Amino acid sequence: MMPRGMLSSMMPRGMMSSLLSLLWVRPCRGLGLLPPPERIFARRGGWGGGRLLAQRAPHPLPTARKSSREEGSHPRLGLFAALSAAVLASSTQIAVAQTPPPPPAPQPRVTIGYVDIAGDPRHEPIKAYERIVLKPRESPFAGAQVGMDEAQALSRVLKIDFALERITVKSAQEVTPAVTQALERGIHFFIVDAPAEAFRPLATAVRGREVLLFNATAPDDWLRRDLCAREIVHTLPSLAMTSDALMQHLVSRKWRDILVLQGPLPADAATTKAFENSVKKFGARIIANRPFKAGTDPREREQNNPLLLTAGTRDYDVIFIADDAFEFARQVPYQTVRPRPLVGAIDLEPVGWHWTWEHNGAPQINTRFNRASGGRRMESADWAAWIAVKMVVQATLRTRSAEFDKQRAFILSDTGFDGYKGLAVSVRRWDQQVRQAVFLATPSAVIASAPIEGFLHRTNTLDSLGDDEPETPCKLNK
Amino acid sequence: MLIDRRALSLAVPAAALVACLTVGPAAAKDTGLIFVSNEKSNNLIVIDPKTYKVIKDIKTSRRPRDMHFSVDRSKLYVACGDDDVIDILDVAKLEVIGRIPTGPSPETFAIDEVKRRIYVANEEGSSLSIIDMDQAITIHEVPTGAEPEGVYVAEDGKTLYVTSEVGDLIHLVDAEGGHVLQDVVVGTRPRRFAATPDRKELWVTAELSGEVYIIDRAKFEVSGKIEFLPPGMRKSDVTPVGLAMTKDGKTAFVTLGHAAHVAVVDVPTRRITSYILVGKRSWGVTLSRDERTMFVANGFGDDITVIDVNSRKATISIPVGRIPWGVIIDD
Repeated sequence: MMPRGMLSSMMPRGMMSSLLSLLWVRPCRGLGLLPPPERIFARRGGWGGGRLLAQRAPHPLPTARKSSREEGSHPRLGLFAALSAAVLASSTQIAVAQTPPPPPAPQPRVTIGYVDIAGDPRHEPIKAYERIVLKPRESPFAGAQVGMDEAQALSRVLKIDFALERITVKSAQEVTPAVTQALERGIHFFIVDAPAEAFRPLATAVRGREVLLFNATAPDDWLRRDLCAREIVHTLPSLAMTSDALMQHLVSRKWRDILVLQGPLPADAATTKAFENSVKKFGARIIANRPFKAGTDPREREQNNPLLLTAGTRDYDVIFIADDAFEFARQVPYQTVRPRPLVGAIDLEPVGWHWTWEHNGAPQINTRFNRASGGRRMESADWAAWIAVKMVVQATLRTRSAEFDKQRAFILSDTGFDGYKGLAVSVRRWDQQVRQAVFLATPSAVIASAPIEGFLHRTNTLDSLGDDEPETPCKLNK
Repeated sequence: MLIDRRALSLAVPAAALVACLTVGPAAAKDTGLIFVSNEKSNNLIVIDPKTYKVIKDIKTSRRPRDMHFSVDRSKLYVACGDDDVIDILDVAKLEVIGRIPTGPSPETFAIDEVKRRIYVANEEGSSLSIIDMDQAITIHEVPTGAEPEGVYVAEDGKTLYVTSEVGDLIHLVDAEGGHVLQDVVVGTRPRRFAATPDRKELWVTAELSGEVYIIDRAKFEVSGKIEFLPPGMRKSDVTPVGLAMTKDGKTAFVTLGHAAHVAVVDVPTRRITSYILVGKRSWGVTLSRDERTMFVANGFGDDITVIDVNSRKATISIPVGRIPWGVIIDD
């Protein structure tokens, strides 16, 4: 952005005056009657009390969004200041929510616990060896906060308050006691921001209790298939869903012959397994699966040299790479022996959310998130945390109730929620995975949104992604 | 583009004075011209009503969306979402002659000419701006639910209705005091309004739940709803946004967004009588004054569909700019 003032000083005089001639002519009628330049603020009673703003007519040309706040000569800036103050105030409330709030709430309250682990390595940025941040990965708590901010207008209508309580524990082992203790205190909804392993003891501990846990960060398929707990709703797309989405796109392009490059981590194995399933499901072919190993050891060049890794096979249409560490994948594009696109860990990634999605109201949620998170771009886990809050809020709104049973029943019913990505999202009855669109995104655009046109399903095209009812061993809510 | 505001504010009185003497809007009436706002190409396309040829491409501020005429039709106001302004167009000259600053991302608005007020929903500001048209100043910022959109001013000018897309709410706002009086909960993502001429009902589209909600204005509560499903479409594609009603209050037209149809509704019985095929993401819908022709903006077709109202058939589609949002006719 150009600094303010630069443009006008750069502009020749004639241009400036021709711009000025664009000025709206109406004010000239009351030219002498313009109010003095100072602002008057007056607060009206009750919620939504209008703030009276009167001030000198601001200039009529596009205004700078990033103006200095202290100047404060624009009504919108005043509003911004007030809004951000409100956001600050509400986040302060959240921060101190673990100590009892000062005035007792006069109306019922629906609290959502947000359980996370201090120093969770999954939320640490991926760095190159000299501290260069390759991928900033952050806690999706801001997603939940945005959902909470949206709920504030409704609490007045419903006469029910909404609150978000962050419970940060030291390790994955402490997640279960933290949830059960909060449950004793009357919290029924939790967003669990923990790795998949934390869910096994947690599911055992809360089995049959009045609780709904939202898994917003673990994509692992075994959580949906094998753990299969009726107390868990998975808002993040599963690996099966994201790899099916990718495969639908490849098959729709007729890129059916695939070379797989697989990294050494367990996560890479899980991703590859999901991908192999999708290959079978949608009738593609794996030409070869080459394990890679990051490094420069010449003795291991068959595994660490992209040229050698991508040579010596029959032709393929596309290269799929599974690399959770990301260190190797970033060196592969344009280093392949054949001119073929890369998908998976780099270049075209299947994601639950992307900051460039421009439809279904997405720009508005992206802007709200950006503002609430201090300038971050919204990602899949942020969306998963946000939709969890939204589901609870909608359940409260539509049932007009703060009773857990009613809210739970509403969330698990066939009702659709507005996920800002096209088709309404809802909870699959059989494994309580949230069915949703999956984006296929490059770093700067969503190339396609799956389900891709032409992939049909007998009830809901969203169920062409991931485990459909006949495909999963998990049979909840029958 | 940023302009030094200090330099400008010094120059304002002189420039305004000059403008007053020389740029007075010329008289224009009933030209019949069709204006289409295009969100992505930042322009208004002007179409000749007889030949349906594009006769002018007017550059506006960024992301032009809702449009309204002044009562004498000499001026056209255009909300431009990415520059936080309402552009003012001289209808005779077909050029932008001024701008009114609004809150962040203005989408739709309403004008009360008696009070000389503009009511603008600021999509990203979660607020409604009440603007004095003559002085171009914001006199109230009314906090609303997130993503306010449709605005409808009651005939007496005392109250107005605003939707909140995220809150699934309709706010009843005190136009003078600038605060919310009451709310009513409707379907998912409420968008636009139409009022019956008897002033008893307010219709509002709920985009994501695929419905129109009918609000009893006297009681300010939901008195009915209409669900849409054109033959062969999936429920999830039915995303109603635009609404138009005939002056006799008998027929309503609802654009169904991704379902690429306009639903025709018999207002007294609230029954859907037919569906008319249009383009993708159909939003804006406008009837000509004689109510024989209807125009629909197809956001994902970059064109508008012209419909013969009597036969309920699309007759022609006209390419316009990128992502057309709405249509307005100077008749």
